[in-house]
Amino acid sequence: MAKDITIYTTNTCAYCVMVKKWLTAKGKPYQEVNLDETPERAEEAYKISGQLAVPVTVVTKDDDQKEVIIGYNLAKLAPAVS
Amino acid sequence: MSETEDIWDVLMVGAGPASLSSAIYTTREDLSTVIYEKGVIGGLASTTDWIDNYPGFAEGVSGLELGEQLQQQAERFGAKIELGEVLGIKDVGKYKIISTTDGDVKARAVLISTGSDYKRLGIPGEAEYYAKGVHYCATCDGAFYREKRLVVVGGGNSAVQEAMFLTKYAIHIDLIIRGDKFRASEVLIHELDKFPMIKVHMNTTTDEIVGSDGKVTKVVGTNKKTGKKVDFPTDGVFIFIGLLPNTGFLKDTGIELDEIGLIKTDENLETNIPGVFCAGDVRSGATMQIASATGEGATAALKIRKYLEKNS
Ligand SMILES: Cc1cc2nc3c(=O)[nH]c(=O)nc-3n(C[C@H](O)[C@H](O)[C@H](O)COP(=O)(O)OP(=O)(O)OC[C@H]3O[C@@H](n4cnc5c(N)ncnc54)[C@H](O)[C@@H]3O)c2cc1C
Repeated sequence: MAKDITIYTTNTCAYCVMVKKWLTAKGKPYQEVNLDETPERAEEAYKISGQLAVPVTVVTKDDDQKEVIIGYNLAKLAPAVS
Repeated sequence: MSETEDIWDVLMVGAGPASLSSAIYTTREDLSTVIYEKGVIGGLASTTDWIDNYPGFAEGVSGLELGEQLQQQAERFGAKIELGEVLGIKDVGKYKIISTTDGDVKARAVLISTGSDYKRLGIPGEAEYYAKGVHYCATCDGAFYREKRLVVVGGGNSAVQEAMFLTKYAIHIDLIIRGDKFRASEVLIHELDKFPMIKVHMNTTTDEIVGSDGKVTKVVGTNKKTGKKVDFPTDGVFIFIGLLPNTGFLKDTGIELDEIGLIKTDENLETNIPGVFCAGDVRSGATMQIASATGEGATAALKIRKYLEKNS
């Protein structure tokens, strides 16, 4: 089970919208960090993912293990949030 | 769905402007319609920052907004959108069997509107630094380059449009063009004059992407006139050198493609396999615009209706 889902996004990123649409369809609540509104957190997204790209989805499991999924990748997102 | 078994009237591959427009028509004709989308609903149009030439929006419209509106309009009349990929299509006479990442689905007619994906340069460093300094989507990844330097590769509409978008973030952009002129529209070339931070380098090849400590530091090119190597110090590279048709999944279907992999159709937008239609960017002869993609989608819907009337 996921305790927390946080997505790093930007205003114009269509793949970010898809991650949000998919999570909503699955009934999974999430928090969003919009890097256009909080540019100071871009470095944090880079540190977590090692990539200069969004969406970055961080799934915190019940045992506090974190899984980081880069991009709109259902093959990885689905098992991570299940 | 039709009364016999679970057979959709129409299955559409890809939820770009062509399919979404087509689905508005098929659903209003009471044809049960499902669309499979492996990426973004709204297609390539949704990944475009701003669209100025789609009729009906006097001031232009953001790509995301247009995609959202098209989706809602298609869904309003009952189109079902599934988030999954189509892997193959088999014609078994009365219907087609479509294999998807969620299993096999049956449909009496199929519309292929899979558009295309960005071409890669195929140079050293490109794969290594993918998403770590090498990008193909400005609206997705541009925000990481606030106050940074960028290289944009390409001389067509996409490259010019995206370079201008990236000036929202970057302080300097080197636009590298292999040929001796732009392939972009006059309006866009003219617009470029308003962006002094974009420096254009014609007749220049892009040879290598170099980095250190996991980040891109420079792009190495060659000036074709002098034969000399040129270094472009940069924090990232955005590549827009054209598109590759999304037709790989049709390899074993017998659907006829042209020499660059676009789908051949007749004047009814039907492929060589009866009941399999094609519209939008992936169709051989298409004009690669949203307005034409939605137009072809509407045409295909009406041709599909005729086909289903004849073959039911
Ligand atoms: C940077 C850029 C800027 C542009 N600007 C403009 C502009 O200003 N005005 C304009 O008119 N046009 C513009 N275009 C062109 C426009 O985006 C396309 O003409 C239009 O999106 C084509 O629509 P389509 O439905 O044919 O294909 P697409 O929009 O490409 O949609 C195809 C969809 O199919 C999906 N797909 C592919 N394969 C599969 C599969 N096997 N299974 C499931 N789904 C699949 C893809 O994920 C995609 O979402 C621009 C293009 C680019 C790249």
